Amino acid sequence: MKRLQLILVLLLSIMVFKGAFAAAGDELLKLPVQDAGRIKPYDTFSKEMLEIVHGKSKFEGRGAAEIVMTWMLSPQSWQTKKIFEVRNHEVLKALGLPAVERYFSGDEIFSSPQFGSLIQDLQSKRETKEKLTPYFQALQRLEDQLSVFREIAGGNMLRLIPPKEGTVWLSVVQFEGEQQTAFAVLTKSFIGYIGGVASHVSASELKQLASEMDSAVLAFREVARKNNPGLYSVDTKVNVEVFYNHFHPFRWAYIFYLLSSLVLLMVWSMNKITWMKAAWAFASVGFLLHTFGFVIRMYLMDRAPVTNMYETVVWMSWGALLFSAILEWIYKFRFILLAGTLGAMVSLIVADTAPAVLDPSLIPLEPVLRSNYWLTVHVMTITISYAAFFLAFVLGDIGLIYYIRGEEKHQDKIKAITTSVYRAMQIGVVFLAPGIILGGIWADYSWGRFWGWDPKETWALIALLGYLAVLHGRLGGWLKNFGMIASGVITFSLVIMAWYGVNFVLGAGLHSYGFGAGGVEYVSAFIAAHFLLVLYAWLVRKK
Amino acid sequence: MLQKWMKKILKFLASLKLAVVIILSLAFLIAIGTIVESKYDAIAAKKWVYDTVWMYSIMGALAVSLVAVMVDRWPWKTRHAPFVFAHIGIILLLLGSVMTLQFGIDGSLRVPVGQGNQFLVVPETDVLVYSSFDGDRYTKLEERPVDFFLHPPSPEKPVEISTYTGAIKFTGYKKYVIPKRMVTAAREPNGRRGAGLRFQIQNSNVNVVEWIVQRRAKDLATHDFGPAALHLGEAPAKGQGRNEIFFTPQVGKDSLKYVVFQKDQDRPLKSGEVKEGEMFVPGWKMPIEVRVLRYFPEAEEAWDLQERESPTPLTTSAARVEFDGKESWILLNDTLKLFTSEAVYIVTYGNRRLDLGFQVVLQNFIVDRYQGTMRAAAYKSHVSIADFGEHEISMNEPLKYKGFTIYQASFEDDPKTGQPLASVFSVNQDPGRWIKYLGSLIMSIGIILLFYFKQKAKKGNAT
Repeated sequence: MKRLQLILVLLLSIMVFKGAFAAAGDELLKLPVQDAGRIKPYDTFSKEMLEIVHGKSKFEGRGAAEIVMTWMLSPQSWQTKKIFEVRNHEVLKALGLPAVERYFSGDEIFSSPQFGSLIQDLQSKRETKEKLTPYFQALQRLEDQLSVFREIAGGNMLRLIPPKEGTVWLSVVQFEGEQQTAFAVLTKSFIGYIGGVASHVSASELKQLASEMDSAVLAFREVARKNNPGLYSVDTKVNVEVFYNHFHPFRWAYIFYLLSSLVLLMVWSMNKITWMKAAWAFASVGFLLHTFGFVIRMYLMDRAPVTNMYETVVWMSWGALLFSAILEWIYKFRFILLAGTLGAMVSLIVADTAPAVLDPSLIPLEPVLRSNYWLTVHVMTITISYAAFFLAFVLGDIGLIYYIRGEEKHQDKIKAITTSVYRAMQIGVVFLAPGIILGGIWADYSWGRFWGWDPKETWALIALLGYLAVLHGRLGGWLKNFGMIASGVITFSLVIMAWYGVNFVLGAGLHSYGFGAGGVEYVSAFIAAHFLLVLYAWLVRKK
Repeated sequence: MLQKWMKKILKFLASLKLAVVIILSLAFLIAIGTIVESKYDAIAAKKWVYDTVWMYSIMGALAVSLVAVMVDRWPWKTRHAPFVFAHIGIILLLLGSVMTLQFGIDGSLRVPVGQGNQFLVVPETDVLVYSSFDGDRYTKLEERPVDFFLHPPSPEKPVEISTYTGAIKFTGYKKYVIPKRMVTAAREPNGRRGAGLRFQIQNSNVNVVEWIVQRRAKDLATHDFGPAALHLGEAPAKGQGRNEIFFTPQVGKDSLKYVVFQKDQDRPLKSGEVKEGEMFVPGWKMPIEVRVLRYFPEAEEAWDLQERESPTPLTTSAARVEFDGKESWILLNDTLKLFTSEAVYIVTYGNRRLDLGFQVVLQNFIVDRYQGTMRAAAYKSHVSIADFGEHEISMNEPLKYKGFTIYQASFEDDPKTGQPLASVFSVNQDPGRWIKYLGSLIMSIGIILLFYFKQKAKKGNAT
């Protein structure tokens, strides 16, 4: 037990040191920028911009804060750098660029004689107001990438000073007098600092350069504040956001879930029951960090973070862990907690590694979704029900593994898993049915119709009907243990359709504010693999 | 014997097997509905899936099965509470939906900024025919509800409306078309049709090419493009305080008279005659050239229809009309004029309009935007209703008046300036609302109880 405490303390302290303490040169990251309808730290702004253009938050090992600033300071030096990410092969073919590469320079793209006519094609396609095909979506992305780069390079997009009147902040090209001077001092100290990094000066010299840059940034902030102090009182939020960006609470959460899962796997395979405490401890720390990250997002946006795919994945995995802990506490089957930690870990890793599909940026809400109590309750209720179904799904997978390893030997385990799957499904139904009804009430309250066969609500209903059919089938006695375990896995595909498929495959309806594209092939493969797993377990059982 | 049969039937209706079959077929059918909606649109999904006999049969079977199972378990015990609650809740939800479907009204009301409107547009469509002998006074000949989407007319099965001079026949229908207006010279001039003018206005920043067509002879038709307006029709003696050009057709001649006014003087600035292919300079402060590209003393309008597989925001639907040996197309929510030697008929095909009984006037429309962007953060309409007063309608804050609930739905804005032009409200009357709310509440209680009782029940078969 003592050893366990020691490990925990050690891990926590590494985490805190890595994330929380400011280093010299960090002031630039905290510089407030107005972009996309809110004030964000330069740290977030530069990361988002580099992700738009390059698809990653780093370029050649250098951080986004540095890269994006140099776009503005010396755009010509970037003309030949392969910074634009183009993945669509059709677009590459149309541009006459090699399909084996993924990154291209501005020169390569602009010098293509077809470039202009492609953008014109896109424009006329847009005028028809039809849904854009993946090819045109890719073209549109390229257009966005180029325009973001050009606007930043031209100094139009970086809005750093609040206006005396109105709400639109002043961009770099609009600076006057002392604003210009202060910004020039800032850029000079910035160039000095990155010059120092590039020429490998000594640590103390570098620190000196960094603190020079810090004081230049602070001086600039004073000038900016002077222009309109009321609009510039954003320090706390900006600081918290920078902390959030660097602390990665969800990454730490899944690391702890991983540790917990490993311990649980050992408990499971070697029957070391005394280790359960360690598993609980790791899972709890992970859960606390998970909650912490969630609360920070809530604080930053003044709303419950459940309005896009990324946020619902984070919320759903939180719920899966919570439900698994509750069920584990009641039944003490041990693999329930394992299902919870494994499930939460995998979801958080997916959320962390696929920013193109699951966009982690903090985006202001569409009017329909604003300041609405019902919305929050309805979305949270429905997605938390998906958490329970997800738990049933992971438990189902574990059950299938037992079937494959031999039904006879593991009778008692299989029975216990069946009970857990059944319970998890019940929890899901208890949340999903009222969640759908709350959605109806919200729709009735907001735009006067209780039910309108909108695809998103219809698929949530289909998922509910699917689970109701399973539960009734169990009552009728047609679904035995294998039937329940297999249903836990198969029926979850309805949830995936309701949750992901409607937005990314069907792409129609009133819920269009949550739409995006991408990842369809991975998700289909995921579902197909699980159907095959069920089939295989069935065949093994038949023999 | 009869009792035995009754019992058997009840057992069957109350069986879990039937329940599962109903649940699965409902899930399957509505899944198809969502796919139809994604390929076509919400209207198609409604007409082909959700508002069909199939759907109603499944819903009916569901209601019967729910009732049967409750009768079957009579007398109820405490452990039956969750299932009774849940099932009664669902029955009430179904009942409420039937009420809404039968007696509810759901339409949209578009009100331009600074104006009023009291007509609600609902999804049902009608064909209306008016007739006139003198071209001024019209009388309604026929008003007929039609559903061309589900029952398209064809040459074999036309929709006929009889008039004094033969029948107006609808003989075709296209669901999704992109229309383009075509103006041609009338094939059989009769002196009553209006003139058509295609002009071009050009300088270094502007290049506008448009048609102006008079609805009938001697009418005034206008094309307004902000700094100036062009009219086809009789010119007034004095200017109206803006930059304007009046083109007047001259009987028996293929040239037009034109009169130019400038906004700061009453007297005409310039006048003259112009023919097809000729141009002139109005002489305003802004340098501009006006060219007459085409001119028909008697013009006929027609639609050039490009048919599409599936709808886009630019498509509409169109029906073919045959009358007096000629055929023409009429677009949804448009009118068509048919001439014979004695009479003029006006045909309209479009969404039904319901009179609210009161006028909603949009005083002001306010859009809040996210800082530094054009993205709307919130919007609200400041409306007034006579006998009621002023009220603010915003998202989630509807107005209830005379049994109607008026919701903020969306708005239209000028694509160039971003200024709001009109507010769109969704207006409804829903007598089933409270039944649905009650059903929701009872069903939710049932589901929560189910969980509670499950913990107690040994075998877990409370249902």
